[in-house]
Amino acid sequence: MQPLAASPGPAAPAGAELLRWQWREVQAPCLVAAWILVASLAKIVFHLSRKVTSIVPESCLLILLGLGLGGIVLAVAKKAEYQLEPNMFFLFLLPPIVLDSGYFMPSRLFFDNIGAILTYAVMGTLWNSFTTGTALWGLHWAGLMDPGVEAGLMDFLLFGSLISAVDPVAVLAVFEEVHVNETLFIIVFGESLLNDAVTVVLYKVFNSFVELGPAHIHATDYVKGVASFFLVSLGGTAVGLLFAFLLALITRFTKRVRIIEPLFVFLLAYVAYLAAEMVSLSSILAVTFCGICCKKYVEANISQKSRTTVKYTMKTLASSSETIIFMFLGISAVDTSKWAWDTALVLGTLFFILLFRALGVVLQTCVLNRFRLIPLDRIDQVVMSYGGLRGAVAFALVILLDRTKVKAKDYFVATTIVVVFFTVIVQGLTIKPLVTWLKVKRSDHHKPTLNEELHEHAFDHILAAVEDIVGHHGYHYWRDKWEQFDKKYLSQLLMRKSAYRLRDEIWDVYYKLNIRDAISFVDQGGHVFSAAKLALPSMPSRTSISESSVTNLLRESGSGACLDLQVIDTVRSRRDKEDAAMHHVLRGSLYKPRRRYKASYSRHFISPDKQERQDKEIFRQNMKRRLETFKSTKHNICSSKSKARLKEKGRKKKNISVTREALNDKTHRNVPWQDAGEAGGRQAPVLVMVSSEDEESDSSETEREDDEGIVFIARATDEVLQGKTASDSLDVCPSPCIIPPSPTLAEKELPWKGDQADLAVYISSETTKIVPVDMQKAWNQSISSLESIASPPGIESGPQHRRFACPVLEEKPQPTSPAVMEQSSCFQFPSHVSKNGRSQSGSSPDGAEQQELQPLMATEEQGRVLPTAEPRWLMFNRASHL
Amino acid sequence: MGSAHSVPAEMRELADRTGFTSEQIEHLHRRFKQLSQDQLTIRKENFDNIPDLEFNPIRGKIVHAFFDKRNLRQESDGLADEINFEDFLTIMSYFRPIEMNMDEEQLDRFRKEKLKFLFHMYDSDHDGKITLQEYRNVVEELLSGNPHLEKESARSIADGAMMEAASICVGQMGPDQVYEGITFDDFLKMWQGIDIETKMHVRFLNVDTIAHCY
Repeated sequence: MQPLAASPGPAAPAGAELLRWQWREVQAPCLVAAWILVASLAKIVFHLSRKVTSIVPESCLLILLGLGLGGIVLAVAKKAEYQLEPNMFFLFLLPPIVLDSGYFMPSRLFFDNIGAILTYAVMGTLWNSFTTGTALWGLHWAGLMDPGVEAGLMDFLLFGSLISAVDPVAVLAVFEEVHVNETLFIIVFGESLLNDAVTVVLYKVFNSFVELGPAHIHATDYVKGVASFFLVSLGGTAVGLLFAFLLALITRFTKRVRIIEPLFVFLLAYVAYLAAEMVSLSSILAVTFCGICCKKYVEANISQKSRTTVKYTMKTLASSSETIIFMFLGISAVDTSKWAWDTALVLGTLFFILLFRALGVVLQTCVLNRFRLIPLDRIDQVVMSYGGLRGAVAFALVILLDRTKVKAKDYFVATTIVVVFFTVIVQGLTIKPLVTWLKVKRSDHHKPTLNEELHEHAFDHILAAVEDIVGHHGYHYWRDKWEQFDKKYLSQLLMRKSAYRLRDEIWDVYYKLNIRDAISFVDQGGHVFSAAKLALPSMPSRTSISESSVTNLLRESGSGACLDLQVIDTVRSRRDKEDAAMHHVLRGSLYKPRRRYKASYSRHFISPDKQERQDKEIFRQNMKRRLETFKSTKHNICSSKSKARLKEKGRKKKNISVTREALNDKTHRNVPWQDAGEAGGRQAPVLVMVSSEDEESDSSETEREDDEGIVFIARATDEVLQGKTASDSLDVCPSPCIIPPSPTLAEKELPWKGDQADLAVYISSETTKIVPVDMQKAWNQSISSLESIASPPGIESGPQHRRFACPVLEEKPQPTSPAVMEQSSCFQFPSHVSKNGRSQSGSSPDGAEQQELQPLMATEEQGRVLPTAEPRWLMFNRASHL
Repeated sequence: MGSAHSVPAEMRELADRTGFTSEQIEHLHRRFKQLSQDQLTIRKENFDNIPDLEFNPIRGKIVHAFFDKRNLRQESDGLADEINFEDFLTIMSYFRPIEMNMDEEQLDRFRKEKLKFLFHMYDSDHDGKITLQEYRNVVEELLSGNPHLEKESARSIADGAMMEAASICVGQMGPDQVYEGITFDDFLKMWQGIDIETKMHVRFLNVDTIAHCY
């Protein structure tokens, strides 16, 4: 900002100022923002070239960038500025990364390997610290080092403790891009997280020893050191668990304040970190365990939108923290005032950490493999040794040393910087080729299949049972016990009732698959249709299923594929039940799942499109084929004339949807909704179904609370009549024959509750024959959803739709009586009202022919309504949420 | 078998056949006697005495598998009324972990054996096919632990899984083709890429007698 009224000096407060230069006030946050901006822009630049990023890890690039920037700053300011401050690092930069990795930690995998992880984290770190420290001291003692390095054994042990810990940030940054198998990853990564307690304790103990001076150390101090290890690690874990419990409990009661749900997640995790830090417990452990343990309950409690928000925010924060850390590491390295180079120390350290890491891994694996059921083979060991990267934690710790007490600090700083740079850049660069060369088993990202999940569950039970029978209280036994305990008490206490009921992993996978179905359906412009969702008990052919054959089931589409329990609990009649089921089927299908199944490590790329596209592969294609046949045999009456026209439109729509998809995740959910209108108009039954899914997702009751943004408004009003009178002045529909039945519908009957007679207006007897009942409903719903979505936020008077009781529309083609219409509810939105009125006035006098046409005509109308409705909806949504 | 098992020769033979170490066999025998209440054979009722098993949703299937003659490597089919220690060991040997020195071929056979066991558990009518109905039963049992999930939903899940299986195994099906059920070959196909050998095992060392039966 340029000062308009430039004030020459502080001594000139002469008169009022128009504007004032307030750099000082904004300096700190402004610099922070500027740095983040620079780093983020740099990331964009890095990723411009896929080639570069596929070879060079981002962390390397960032460090190099930091070096460059640091050089510039040094050249301009003549002094090194903007260092990586330990305080800033530990209080602000580290927590997001740790929280992210804890929260998205594949917990099953983590606990399956907890033994190995703990061994490497505790024993490995102890081993590394002591051996490295002692060996360096030996080097010093042998006189190979510069005499300027004034350090005793304790100093070297201190240095060894801080340099030997594998760094979670560096490991994540590098391993994320090298897709080694999950077990290997979790062991290295878990180790890097859990070794924090050891590092902290060793660092503190040795630091105090150095400060005390070797002469004043008593035997009790060693005992204290050991005791403090247990205190720090277990205490940190306990703090984390406590806050996880609190967090889960709190989110159980946020039903009415959905918007602050994500805040709680971040806030409590951060408080856990600070609390642990405050009492000098291991804060990393606290946040890690808080994240791991709360996730299950929190995810079940909070709304879908909050889930997405948490995910994105967490990833964003972690990613930017990481970026800043690496960049600042580079910048800090430029500051030569802190450096004191000693070749022997540097080379010795490099050599020893590599050597002892490898030795430690091999020794520990030897022991571990006796107990592990899946042994770690030699290649795994090589990757584990080589993957022991050091990073910013070591750097921050070495900066924290007190120069007056630790006289060789400058040497240590220089060595640490070199070690960090070496591990991140050299090892980071070479680990990928190494992994390829060694043919390390990569993680296979196969899609989670339903069968797999089922078998895995069966496995858990079988193994637990066999352990019971054998009488061995092993891992499976305890896991089984824990799950029972969790089911009986914890989940009941920490989860919402509604969430708790739906809680089942198999069910989740099923959900997820349905969703994918739907997504692929939408991707393809709505030509596929998955039977899993189609199938409903009320389908005409229901009774004729021969239960033994899947193909039959498929063709007949008789299997009740998806049922939402909650609905079933609550709805009364069979018909209602089916409707509800349908809604939930549909909703489930577009509902973005929690990605619990897949171990998601990636911090930077949340859901690559590629993945989704791959996911739909065989299963979907098969479904498609079969359903196509199903469709053509059953509903070959699908009007071909409308098809061609619609296809064009569909393409157009798809474009829109794609761009929207790019915008953000939430809007993604609109995509199908658009297609909905499309499909609805198309009158192809199959399409309709899926399209209404989305609205389902917006309106269904289970997650009803989530979607406060979209409110279905009912108005038992006389609006209809007004609409009728207004229809004279209507200029939206130029020709009387294009009558929009859908808006009417939507407005009249709140999503689904409505009069049967009403519905009959626009669904002709012909359609009823062609289109299965459910599909008609779905069609109606899809249309009504469009309309209700388009409603302005202001109207809130009507009763919110809670339950959908779909009218039975079977073959009731009588025209509506005006009286019925009066009872029906409608929106206040003027244009719609007028349309509404129009359609009604048009439809009732018109004959059966007219009615038959209407569904087709709806398409045109739909096409026109949509563009305007869309932005409004977005705004609406925002308005109600913020 | 009783006390006879302690004869080293017999022990060695058992060890060779089942792949357990003699130490493990001893442990297992202790447990076997405990379960059978010092009888020579175990009957189904004996399994009811294991308290921890009570909550297992698919306990029926698991116990069943112990008496399934197909798993006992007897040529005959059907169900045994009681099993002796050797049979017990045979069943247990399905749950052995892989060993370091196994070669590819052994691994493959090992894997197939494990899968066969699993397959037999699902294929309750012994016709070599997991039909939809059988699959549904399994899923229903699996989900029976959750009181809020209805049978209907279990069915739909099974249907979905079956369709998935059909699509994996048969690929493109003609409109009139009927998928009867999952055969063992299909079953193998479904398990491709999933390391069952790294999952289906139990530790047999240190079999303590912590879990007392009444």
